[in-house]
Amino acid sequence: MNRGSIVRPSTVRAALTLLAALSLGQSQAVTRGGQLTYGRYADSLFLDPVLNDANLDIWILTNLYDTLLQPTDDGKSVRPGLASTYVVSGDGKSMRLVLRSGIRFADGSPITSADVKWSLDRARNPDNGAWNGLLESIQSVAASGNVVTLTLKHPDPTLPSALATFNSAIMPQKLFAAAPGANDAAKAKAFAEKPVGSGPFVLSEWKRGSYMVLKRNPYYWKKGEDGKALPYLDTLRFEIIPDDNTRILKLQAGEIQGAEFIPLSRVAELKASPKLNMMLFPSTKVNDIIMNNRPKLKDGTANPLSDVRVRQALNYAVNRDALIALVTFGTGKPMKSYMSSATPLFDASQKGYTYDPAKAKALLAAAGYRNGIDVTSMATSGSADDQALLTALQQMWGAVGVRLKIEQLDAATKTARYRANDFQMRTGAWTDDIADPSEITGYYAVSGATEAAHTGFRSDAIEKLFDQSQQETSRVKRAGLYRQIQTLYTNAAPTVYLFETPYPVALTKNVKGFIQIPLGYNIFERTSIEK
Amino acid sequence: MGSSFVIRRLFQIIPLFLAVMVLIFLLVHLIPGDPVSTLLGDRATPDIVARANRELGLDRPLVVQFGLFVWGLLHGNLGESINLKVPVLQLVTERLPVTLFLTVYAALIGVLLAVPLAVLAAVRRNTWVDVVIRGVFQVGLSLPVFYLGLQLLTLLGARMGLFPIGGYGVTFGEHLSHLFLPALTLGLNLAAVLVRTLRSSVIEVLTAEYVEFARAKGLRSSVILSRHVLRNALISTVTLLGLNVGALIGGAVITETVFAIPGVGRLMVDAIFSRDYPVVQGLTLVFALLVSLVFLATDLLHARLDPRVEAV
Repeated sequence: MNRGSIVRPSTVRAALTLLAALSLGQSQAVTRGGQLTYGRYADSLFLDPVLNDANLDIWILTNLYDTLLQPTDDGKSVRPGLASTYVVSGDGKSMRLVLRSGIRFADGSPITSADVKWSLDRARNPDNGAWNGLLESIQSVAASGNVVTLTLKHPDPTLPSALATFNSAIMPQKLFAAAPGANDAAKAKAFAEKPVGSGPFVLSEWKRGSYMVLKRNPYYWKKGEDGKALPYLDTLRFEIIPDDNTRILKLQAGEIQGAEFIPLSRVAELKASPKLNMMLFPSTKVNDIIMNNRPKLKDGTANPLSDVRVRQALNYAVNRDALIALVTFGTGKPMKSYMSSATPLFDASQKGYTYDPAKAKALLAAAGYRNGIDVTSMATSGSADDQALLTALQQMWGAVGVRLKIEQLDAATKTARYRANDFQMRTGAWTDDIADPSEITGYYAVSGATEAAHTGFRSDAIEKLFDQSQQETSRVKRAGLYRQIQTLYTNAAPTVYLFETPYPVALTKNVKGFIQIPLGYNIFERTSIEK
Repeated sequence: MGSSFVIRRLFQIIPLFLAVMVLIFLLVHLIPGDPVSTLLGDRATPDIVARANRELGLDRPLVVQFGLFVWGLLHGNLGESINLKVPVLQLVTERLPVTLFLTVYAALIGVLLAVPLAVLAAVRRNTWVDVVIRGVFQVGLSLPVFYLGLQLLTLLGARMGLFPIGGYGVTFGEHLSHLFLPALTLGLNLAAVLVRTLRSSVIEVLTAEYVEFARAKGLRSSVILSRHVLRNALISTVTLLGLNVGALIGGAVITETVFAIPGVGRLMVDAIFSRDYPVVQGLTLVFALLVSLVFLATDLLHARLDPRVEAV
């Protein structure tokens, strides 16, 4: 029986109130100062919010830059950032944002609406980076006093989330223009070496591949529990420690106070450590098997996965609970939709696929594959997770007559192959970058430029619903559209849903107030080291 | 030994360099996967990938790309990293000293361990001393570098707290203490190779006629050992050490990952996985140059120890 069902909602509410009261009491005595050293598995590449592409940068940028709005800690909606209020016009075709007064960049210079206009214009320029599409609905940006007005081409329900996303970060126009270089790209390179933003921290030293030191931004606008400016820490130091074991050893030896990407196989062990807090932050990470849905494979052979019954059969033949125990060591939870349950407008009433080998067999037989089928999945070589996952699937699918062959490839080759549609199946994972369901839907369910995650899947009904959802400003109606999209997608089964996984971060017990939000951003603004 | 020998050897490096340049250029470009797709990941549309490829000149014919690469090289420009957006030369100058420090440190530890122990094993051959020394190093030779490294880290770093766990430090003293465990890991592996050869050469020399003669002359055995035996036995060891420095640099790739050392080894691994062509090409050339120079130094040392070499 699920133990959660015994607990009454009223008890939960009481407990939460108590918890809130306790944490408030605790945070009033918060300690200021000190240095936190955090072990990362790899270094950032390029610290420009507009031109960059990798999570390695994105997850750190929010410490250096600030946005007009910010994602909430649960990653599901937005709250005020540099703009204290925003109002969308009745027809949904313009948005008016009011900047906070007295806000400054980390060098002490004031943040003006001209900086905002310049930053947004740069971010939405189609020549810049991969993310300008998020701001595609903006027709023009006007700045006057401390007010910024966005005129829109069409109503856009995703715009508040887009304004809370890293690429809409507000940068100092004058400092950027003063950086050496003939054009935007050259200036960006120079500026990204010594970036100045208005986030809680500012870069003070960066030894590539080794460490990065951030100092507290003395002009940061947010206030802590003690009424003084955040952040609490004086210094934030990122050490680059690529090996999982070494990262954990350093944490256990007290050389660092936090470590990311703890292998799920070691979560239980670290949870038992009296010196550590093993955190599993809710994430938007989904793990699945992405299938080629086209009738023929690249080499011209017929592809049984083009039959929806076969794809459904593969979904029914997966024992997700067993996979979660085996591959995620109990830390995951079964997927019920192509999007994670931490994604806004996730439809909790979705059933997903239950484990039903008999039904899987019947569906395969109905599709004409009474003797089973042979399938091949690409795996990332060297990934222990991929190996464990596909070996387990081999067993589960084998039981219903699906013979799975595993093809190990390095990540770059694997990417090249699926981009060329030259694959039958592959392991895949996704995390959202924006607090809105449109991003993952655009990638997985909508045909578009990436042909629904390169599956070749296309549903006219989903295309139509998605177009509607991109202009529907009523949250309730939008939720209805997304409910339909999720149901249609599940029935068509272009992918095999597996499980959601959290972000595993281990911290020493004296570290308080750190969070990694479901979008992956590492938030250190309220982090402190207690004595 | 004449300077013409050195000059001749230096000139021999040029064709090697050209061959390495062509080969590595073709190899990295012909393996599947391109830097832009890898960097942009799942989210990028074909349009964006195409535009990025155009901006980086990766859509041009291979011959043109190769021409530009060589043109850059002639101007002392190794290109710019696609991922990190900084000049490859800057990356090399930042990271190479770290790897060199580690390599020299490991070689020193290897030699300091191997020479006395090999001589001891040879002098006391077939006693329990010999058996223990050979046994221990045989185990050292068969342990993979990453495993040995991790065990040393756990025992001497985490459990006993004698050395920092990974990293490089800032001052010279910190470099010495941070790099001790990785250097020991590589050094043990190297010592294992050296001990075997050195021991047998020492035995060979010990039984040579001129040593018998020296003994008959009444020279003290310590003098015989240092003046005659070691000098001759070292000839083969120096060659072997030279050859193994290449392997040390290779071993550094793994060691640098395990010990979180920001050297060129790790840079190379990252660059290969992300298909960062300019970095792979630039580093390969630097490695080729380094190994050539080490071989040259080995030859020179060999010639100095054994004057017959130059005559050849």
